[in-house]
Order: sequence, then C-alpha cells, then structure tokens
Amino acid sequence: MQASISLENVFVEFPIYQGGSRSLKKALLRAGTGGGIARDAANRVTVKALAGVDLRIQHGDRVALVGPNGAGKTTLLRVLAGVYEPTSGRVTVEGHISPLFDVGLGLNADATGYENIRMRGLLMGMTPAEIEQRMASIAEFTDLGDYLAMPVRTYSAGMTLRLAFAVATSGHPEILLMDEWLLAGDSNFLEKARRRLADFVNRSSILVLASHTEALLTEWCNKGILLDRGNVVAFGPIREVIEVYHRRRTGDA
Amino acid sequence: MTTKPSALGAESASLPRRESRSAGAGADERGLMAMRDLADGFSRRWLWGAMAWQDVLQRYRGSLLGPFWLTLSTAIMISSMGVLYSTLFKMPMATYLPFLTLGLLAWNLISGLIVEGCQTFLVAENIIKQIKLPLSTHAFRLVWRSLIVAAHNFVVYVVIVFLFDVPLGPATLLVVPGILLVAANGIWVAILLGMLCARFRDIPQIAASLVQIAFFMTPIIWKPELLGPYEHLAHLNPFFAFVELIRAPLLGQAPHPTTWAIAVLVTLIGGGLTFAAFARFRSRIAYWV
Repeated sequence: MQASISLENVFVEFPIYQGGSRSLKKALLRAGTGGGIARDAANRVTVKALAGVDLRIQHGDRVALVGPNGAGKTTLLRVLAGVYEPTSGRVTVEGHISPLFDVGLGLNADATGYENIRMRGLLMGMTPAEIEQRMASIAEFTDLGDYLAMPVRTYSAGMTLRLAFAVATSGHPEILLMDEWLLAGDSNFLEKARRRLADFVNRSSILVLASHTEALLTEWCNKGILLDRGNVVAFGPIREVIEVYHRRRTGDA
Repeated sequence: MTTKPSALGAESASLPRRESRSAGAGADERGLMAMRDLADGFSRRWLWGAMAWQDVLQRYRGSLLGPFWLTLSTAIMISSMGVLYSTLFKMPMATYLPFLTLGLLAWNLISGLIVEGCQTFLVAENIIKQIKLPLSTHAFRLVWRSLIVAAHNFVVYVVIVFLFDVPLGPATLLVVPGILLVAANGIWVAILLGMLCARFRDIPQIAASLVQIAFFMTPIIWKPELLGPYEHLAHLNPFFAFVELIRAPLLGQAPHPTTWAIAVLVTLIGGGLTFAAFARFRSRIAYWV
C-alpha cells in the first residue's frame, strides 16, 4: 500500500471570539432576544484560513509549502495532521502520519531525555513495548549520549530538536509533516537528519515541509504548493512554483 | 524501489492506517466518530496513565512530602474541624470524626473532578493543536490523576479506622463499585465541562462558586438527621449520593438504595447528555482551545 493524501474542496474557517462571544452571559442574552441579533454576522466573525483547497499528494512526493505569512501554511499542515477537521470538504489520508511541528510537544523540562523520549513516543501512538524496542536506535540517533540521563532543562535548543526528530522519525512513518524549525539544527546533525529523510523518502513516503528558506526547499522537495490567502495558487515542480511565487511578489510590489 | 523490511518499522496497531475526514457528517456518523474517540482514547491507557503520573509528580516536584502534603493538610483540617463541629453539634468525637473525615475525602475527589474538569481541554491546548489524539484521552488523564491523588489520602483513613475502631465488614467492599461510579461520572463531567469551558471562558468561575455552595448544602460537615422532618430532601441531592457511595461503605455501612438509584440516574442522564454534546461539537474543540 502506498501513502497518499487527497483534499477535496477543503474549507477551514476560524471563529473569532472577540471578548463578548466567549461570554456565556452574552450568548444567553442573544438567545433571549429572539435570536435576531444572533443572526447578525458581526457577532461571529470568521476568518477563512483555507478556502476550497483541492490537492492530491502521491507517494514519493516531497512537497514544499510556500507562501507569504498568513497564507494558510500552518493551517494546511494541521489539517493534514488531523488536528483541525475541515469546516467543509473531505480529507483522505492513506498512511501513518508523523507531525513534527513543535519541538516542545509533551516535553517536560524536569524529566530526563529518556523519560521524554518515552512520553513523546506515547504521544505519537507507540506502545511502551514499541518504545523500549526502539529506544536504542532512538538514543543512538540523537547523539546525546550521557545527556539522555539528564533533565531536558539542561539541553540546548539544538539538542532538544535532535530528541524530537529522532522520536518522530523512529517509527518510519509514511507521511512526515514538518514546519520551519528543522533548520535550527547544527550542520553535523542536519547531515544526519538529511540522510534519514533521504532514506525515508526512498520508502516512497510523503514529506510535507513548510518553510521560507528557498535553498532548503529546492534541495529537499520535488514539488511545491503556493498558497495565498487560503487558496492554492500553484501546484507543480518546485522550481516552477518558486518562480511563480517570485513573479507574484514582484508583481505585488 | 525496494527496501528491506525493518523490524522497527512494524506498524503500530494503535494507529489507523487509513482515514477519511469530511465535514458536514450526518448525526449517525458524528455519533460513530464520538464513540471511536472514546474507545481509542480509553485504549491508550499507557498514554493517559503516564500523563496523569507526570502531572502528579510535576505538581509536587521538589517538595519533601510530595502528594502527601495534601494528606497532611487534610489531616490538619479534619482535626481542627472535628473538634469545633463535634462541640457545636454536641456529637461524640468517635462517631463524628470518621464521618467528617470520609465526607471530606470523598468531597475532595468529587469537587476536584468538577473544578479541574473545566480545564480538561484548555490545559492540553498545546497537544491538541500539534497532534491528532482522541480528545477523550485528556478526560481519562484527568480522572486517573484525581484517583491517584485521592489514593494518597487513604493514609488518613487507615489512621481513623485504628483510632476510632471503625467497624469494617462485607459492606466495606461496596466502596469499589462506588468509586467506579464516581470515576465514570468524572469522565462525562470532564468532557462536558471541558468543552463548555473551552468555548465559554467564564464557566470555570461559575463552576467554582457552585461547587463551594454545594459543599455547604451537602451533608459533609453536618449529618442529614439534623434536618429532622426534611431529611429526605438531603437524599435527593446528587452530591450527597456520590459522597455516600464512598463514605458509607468505608464506615462499614451499605449505601441507601435511593443513593444508588440517584447515582445511576445521574450517570445515565449526564453520560447521555455529554455524549450528544460530544458527538455534535467534538470536531470544534481544536478550534476553541
């Protein structure tokens, strides 16, 4: 079976709860006034983060998400990860997903590296037995050595990143979703991460990476998605998409 | 491209391989998804167990007595209140103190479930927004954590049993179904209040003050017999039912049939209501927190 992702006409709208609509009293008062005010659109402002996205990502695709801030890159990643269920439309995902958005996920600064590997593994859906089975290879990959027995509080940002990356990729997920932060690693580790990612893509899996760094995107990805205000503006080979992105930017200026 | 199958690459049974998510699902489908969320959440007992333990350790990290601080403060509160109220109510210490102690221990568990139930999803915001997990996982984590903390107070109970010669018998074993019933209600309370408080941020304050009022209205520091002709009214108080489920067996008595009836009724109504709300709004929780 091969990994694939397909999105059909996906909309994501965020309700904006401006002070008042978070309040129970106001909601009750609205209900009490015959609902006339409740229908007033101003009471529930919504922001369209994704407006009718159609996508089909196949196995072996290494997809870069590009676009200006607020284009919907993070929202799209979260929809792919299953965090947000779309307001309308359909999302079909084939394959295990491993999201790697926040290095700090489930991180307990007072616990040791080993304890944090266990907790993160549990969060990613592994059983304790699976984690113990993978512990040696995860520990080896982090290159943290004796530091793993120390509280994570003593780690540098780069060290924490290694730990998170090692756990996220340990289960050989078929779909890896990553946000910008991966760049934070030192060059030694990046080389190692690159090898693991190359290996990973060779298993005909899917990588979706959101970033602003072009050099990284052209090196790691073969396809690109250009997002703007929640719409897919371009989807195709990475170089063409980046070209469109540049043209649009200079056109806007 | 062929790759060697890796032992480490074994598929995790806990992860669904294929998923399809669509909006505007019908009521049946929503109910099914809510059911799956609850079942998946419960099956991740490793996860919520570990999170609950981490919460307990985190709360008391660096303190000498750890969770036993709570035990100590309960013990101090009981001794001082025991002396005061047994004098006010003109009741012998030997019967009043065990009654007060177990009432307070049960109340600590119940009120904790309600007050912390408001934060079920809010405290898990970071996790909810980063990774797809059954949302019920957070409710199981909360209930398990409350039970762990409550278990630390068991020490106080043992002391009371020896000090006042509390009669133990077969009825004492009824505390097991009693606590299970309280925990089951903790789950729906955590999900329902967790959702309400994620959506309406002023609910926690309301819940906290209602819980405080309930403490004085429920026979915990006073005995229901003191109500005289109105005693039966106390039995209709659902908080009384849940306190009794724990207190009566530990005092060696079987809870009154009315108590069981009310507790089961509350479980069914609350559970049903929560399930309907959870099925309807489950997919919105990630947007609310």
